[in-house]
Order: sequence, then structure tokens, then C-alpha cells
Amino acid sequence: MSYQITTSLIGLLLAASILYLVRRDRLHGPYALWWLTVAAITVLLGVFPKIIDVLAAYTGVSYPPNLLFSLAIGLLLLKMLKADIESSRHERRIRRLGQKMAILAEENLRLQAEIEADDITADRQAQRQ
Amino acid sequence: MDTNGASNRRFGLFEGTAASNRSNPNNFLVVIPARNEERTVGAVVRDIKTRHQCCVVVVDDASTDRTRSVALTAGAAVLKLPFPMGAWCATQAGMRYGLKHDYQYVVTMDADGQHHARSVAKIINSVQSGEADVAVGACPHRLSPAKRVAWAYFRTLTRLSIKDFTSGLRAYNLRAIAILSRRYASLLDYQDIGVLMLLQREGLVIKEIPVTMSARQAGHSRVFSSWFVVTKYMLQTSVLCLSRLGPKNPQRAATRIEAGTP
Repeated sequence: MSYQITTSLIGLLLAASILYLVRRDRLHGPYALWWLTVAAITVLLGVFPKIIDVLAAYTGVSYPPNLLFSLAIGLLLLKMLKADIESSRHERRIRRLGQKMAILAEENLRLQAEIEADDITADRQAQRQ
Repeated sequence: MDTNGASNRRFGLFEGTAASNRSNPNNFLVVIPARNEERTVGAVVRDIKTRHQCCVVVVDDASTDRTRSVALTAGAAVLKLPFPMGAWCATQAGMRYGLKHDYQYVVTMDADGQHHARSVAKIINSVQSGEADVAVGACPHRLSPAKRVAWAYFRTLTRLSIKDFTSGLRAYNLRAIAILSRRYASLLDYQDIGVLMLLQREGLVIKEIPVTMSARQAGHSRVFSSWFVVTKYMLQTSVLCLSRLGPKNPQRAATRIEAGTP
């Protein structure tokens, strides 16, 4: 029974730290949901390791841990791919925002200079009159 | 931030308003991407301004030196990027600026002094006359043997007929500017092959104009600086080339993915 306690403890620890991170606003909505699901599955498999054996028998995998590791690696790869796609999208958005910011800052500076120049000419005209 | 003197100089620079830019068919904008080029950028800007009645925009790629103030003093407008995003994205910022302010043509050149202001007339003419959408100022005999091999490889991969891929001395017409200002060009890291392939796929005419260039006065090529960087560049560009093979239109997919990006 001892390995069951170990795995369920690891699962609980994971779930607790994820909840903590969500509470501290370190994990954003959909990511928190994903990691909480991972924690829940870890606890479930820790408490009931027979689930894997049953699943392996259904899918015809002769050595049950193989099924577990293949599924885990596959899900992790998908998750990483998604993270890279998202970070490319963010990179693009941040670059475009930076460009736009630079353009607006330049235009703002120019408008300020124009207003100052207008003020100076208005002052001069007022002095002449 | 800025002294009054600099602001007033800038005021004198922008006598041409957006409306007059549109009415003058010869008007063009010179875009100079610069990262830590305080030693050379001033001379480059002044050289252009003495030869041409045009607006010069220096895009400061988050320099840590005095590039911005040197360029302002020399009479250029400066776009200061908030974080470094590479020579191409700096150039793209300049193009978006040109598009917004109704310039018909954009000329790009390097800030390190290797391109001559006297070459600008030559390349802008071939775009203004309508014989090409994009003109690339090329200096093929400056290339090292390693670069020649690399470019031959990329020429076969991309079917581009350009000899000098990396030349930063280029002139673009409005059609090219509009294409390159789009969102899907913002993830390109280098201005060479990815940009040229994009233009080729859109059916634009790219022409090479022979010009003379001088050796860099300061700084060094960002691409050919170390073997690690070269390898990374070669692999990254190869992947880019392979991903763009075939006749399908990247624009449709890209607009769907990128809707809502600024």
C-alpha cells in the first residue's frame, strides 16, 4: 500500500500548490484549469492504481506502465506545442504594440512641438497689437 | 526627455503634411533601423538630408547609447522601440509609419555607413519609374566565399533570382509597403529571405540594382558574427523556406489566425 500513499501525496501536493498559485494570481484561468485536472488525475491514479491496469487490458497494452508513460508524454508534447504557438502569437502582438507605441510617441512629440510653435506665433501677434 | 531645441528642429522637418505627401508622387521616406550606432547614424542622416528633400526616420531598436539624440540632432525623426526586436521589425515600424503618413515609397538603409546616400537616387528611380515594385541595392562582389555558397543554396531553395539577399539598401513602392506592414510579416526575424519570399509570392517585381558599398565603419553583421549564430540562421531560414514552398496563399490562413492583433 505504501506506493499508493506516495503517489496520492504527490498528487495532493501538486493540487495544493496549483491552487495556491491560482490564489496568488500567478496562473491565468485556462492554465489553472489544465493543471488542476493534471493534479486530480495524479491523485486518482495514486489512490486507484488499478485504473491503469484496467485501461491497459481494454486497449491491449501488455505492460500497463507503458500506457501510462505514453499517454503522459503525448499530453506533455501537445501542451508544449500549444505553449510555443501561444508564445509566438504573443511575440507578434508585443512587437506590433511596440511598433505602434513608438509611432504614437513620435507623433505626440511632433504635435507638442507644433502647439508650442503656434503658441509662440500667437504671443508675437498679441504683442504687436 | 527632449530639449526644446530638438523639438523645434523636428517642427521644421515636418513641413510636408499627410495631405501634401499624397499629392506629391515623388515623395519618399528614408527608414534607417539603428541599434547602438551613435558613431555613424548622424553622418548617414546628414548625408541623405543634403542630397534629398525627404523625410528621414531613424528607428531606434532600443539602443543603450546616444543613437536617439544623435539622430534627432542630425534632423531625423526617431521612432524609439521599447525593447529590441531586431533589424527587420525595426524596419517594419518605419514602414508602418510611412503607410500611416501616406508616403508613396520607402527607402531603407543601414545606419552603419556602408550604404552611400548617392545610391539612393539610383534605387528610388527604378521604383518610381514603375519598372519594379522593390529595388535592392546589390554589391555582390563584397560577398565572402562562405556567403556565396550559402546564397547559392538559398537561391535554389527559394527560386529567388537575387544575388545579394542581405542588402539592407532597398526601395519599396506602396504595394510592397502595404504587404510588409501586415501582421504576418511581424514574426520574421531577418529582413532578407523571408521578406523577399513574401514579396515574390504576392507577385511583386523585385529588381537588383548594382551599387557600390563601403566596408562597415563600425559594428559588424548581426548574422555572420559567429558559427553558432550562422548555423542558427541557416537552419531557421531553411525551415522558413521549406514552410513557404508551394503555391498556396499564406494570407488567408494568416488573417484568420491573427484577427484582432494591433
